[in-house]
Amino acid sequence: MEKTVAAPRLPGKNRSPVSRFLAYVKKYWFLYLLILPGFACMAVFNYAPMYGIQLAFKEYSPRAGIWGSEWIGLENFYRMFRDPNFIRAFRNTILINLYSLAFGFTFNVFLALMINELKLRKVKPIIQTCVYLPYFLSWVIFAGLVQVFLEYPSTADVGGVVNQVIQGLGGAPIDFLKEPKLFRTILVVTNIIKSAGYSTIVYLASLSGIDPALYESAQIDGANRGQMLWNITIPRILPSIMITFILQVASLFSSNFDQVYNLYNNYVISTGDVLSTYIYRISLGGGTDFELSTAMNLILNVMGLVVVLVTNKYVEKLDVQGIF
Amino acid sequence: MSSNSIKPPRRTMLQRFGFNFYDVFVLLFCASFALLCVYPMWYVAVASVTPYGEFIKGGLMLWPRGGVDLQYYQAIFGTKSFINSMWISVSKTVIATVLSVIVTSTMAYGVSKSHIKGMKFINALVVFNLFFSGGLIPQYMLYKDLNLLRNYWVMVIPGALNITYFIIMRNYYSFSVPHALEEAAQIDGCTEVGVFFRIVTPISKSMLAAISLFIAVINWNDYYNYMMFISNKTELQPYAWVLHRMLTDQTMMNQVRNGAVSMGIATPPPPMALRMACIICAMLPIMCVYPFLQKHFTKGITLGAVKE
Repeated sequence: MEKTVAAPRLPGKNRSPVSRFLAYVKKYWFLYLLILPGFACMAVFNYAPMYGIQLAFKEYSPRAGIWGSEWIGLENFYRMFRDPNFIRAFRNTILINLYSLAFGFTFNVFLALMINELKLRKVKPIIQTCVYLPYFLSWVIFAGLVQVFLEYPSTADVGGVVNQVIQGLGGAPIDFLKEPKLFRTILVVTNIIKSAGYSTIVYLASLSGIDPALYESAQIDGANRGQMLWNITIPRILPSIMITFILQVASLFSSNFDQVYNLYNNYVISTGDVLSTYIYRISLGGGTDFELSTAMNLILNVMGLVVVLVTNKYVEKLDVQGIF
Repeated sequence: MSSNSIKPPRRTMLQRFGFNFYDVFVLLFCASFALLCVYPMWYVAVASVTPYGEFIKGGLMLWPRGGVDLQYYQAIFGTKSFINSMWISVSKTVIATVLSVIVTSTMAYGVSKSHIKGMKFINALVVFNLFFSGGLIPQYMLYKDLNLLRNYWVMVIPGALNITYFIIMRNYYSFSVPHALEEAAQIDGCTEVGVFFRIVTPISKSMLAAISLFIAVINWNDYYNYMMFISNKTELQPYAWVLHRMLTDQTMMNQVRNGAVSMGIATPPPPMALRMACIICAMLPIMCVYPFLQKHFTKGITLGAVKE
């Protein structure tokens, strides 16, 4: 008799991990089903390509494919650091990012403060509408606008507005987009025009939370606008400024392919070529050096990842959500 | 203390309106930067409809002098490859956006339930992709194996999971959807399925609409996948790529100019004017959705920024 009165199967007890796991999945099956399409996409398009990273340590032969190609150790990396074009692209990338940090970043903060200081309630939304707009145009369109404005006069055209103005003032027209000395400046300035407005949003959002009573009491105490700006407004957005700054430092090795690819040409390659465009040119964009391209991408990713992980630690210390 | 010191200091005319030089500087600065952002687009829009005789004189093009002339647009729309590329762009934008919003939002909702086993790990797996990828060539090799090279779907499927908007949506679901509502529904006997379709989705409708527009703009602007993985199959080129070629490729430009002449336009149109008309065509759809975008993105971008 005792045999038939077997202990009732308590959930979660005396059961193998596998069946417990299955029961858990069964309970939350819908949530697991929801993430399935995204998970599959990620597995196929983001993680599956990573097997190709082995090309960085191989000599690629199209006939043998990725798996069949011969291992050559670190040869590709030695080749990379001996490649003057790589060094040049590396230097350009870092320089452009540093200039962007020095000018673009400060300009963004300044613009946010100025928009915040605007007193006319009706003008403010109009200004905001205007400055956010360029962010949504692609770099192809924006490069077109830049080209239209900086065009050098030719037989078929009068040239861009900027050159018309220069000529009107009695100067000689400048071929801006073919002048290596000016190219990095053009990159930084066009990037400011395109994205400064959009990057003020984060600052403006944290500024909108300031209690107006703070300003009123400061006014009663006799503070002027400058003092209010320095003592109330700026401390309020300092955390946002810090985060944006850290994140921008973290992307020191990344380069804006879209921007550079649409603006550069053979004349300015000495100052304008950045890592992403160089990686493209030696592989799919004309060249066939697949393994060198993979090796460069690998080393950039590793360096970038290290910087991001380190900076994310700092971001988490400021009472704000990190990226992870 | 004399009674004089209590009197307010004398105010100038400007100050009486609540204005001083500080305000004037702020206003001038903001207005001139706003102008710098918008004027190029206005200039291009005006120049592209200005008749040839006026256009060649140059100037600031504040308004269309000498009437509106649509001959450059005629030249563009008379070219077969333009019409074709418009179709490709529109169709790929619609399909890719719908697919991407469905895949990304469902995954973001699942992962936002971080108390469920495995979700935190999956979240880390997704975010890791922001910083580390196989790179261009491994991607190319994989697409080759999957038969996606020179295939229309390479512009649609690989971007289905958008990581940036995944993070924004995940934060929205975990911070902005009231959990009390979900719990109440579950106590009333609603299943997980019901909670998602009957409670969460209706609440987040406006967020989904906003993000769909953002993703649509990204897809409309995209030419990268075409350039890398299709590259010379012209019947599949999206409009953004046609624009890129109009800006850089002399043979393409000559084709369009000669086509315009054969259509009966007397002089071959100047390259600059044709480029401007192309730029306007690429900008127009974005301009149409911009008012809706602007309404939402101030909320969207800050969703992920500040801890509750």
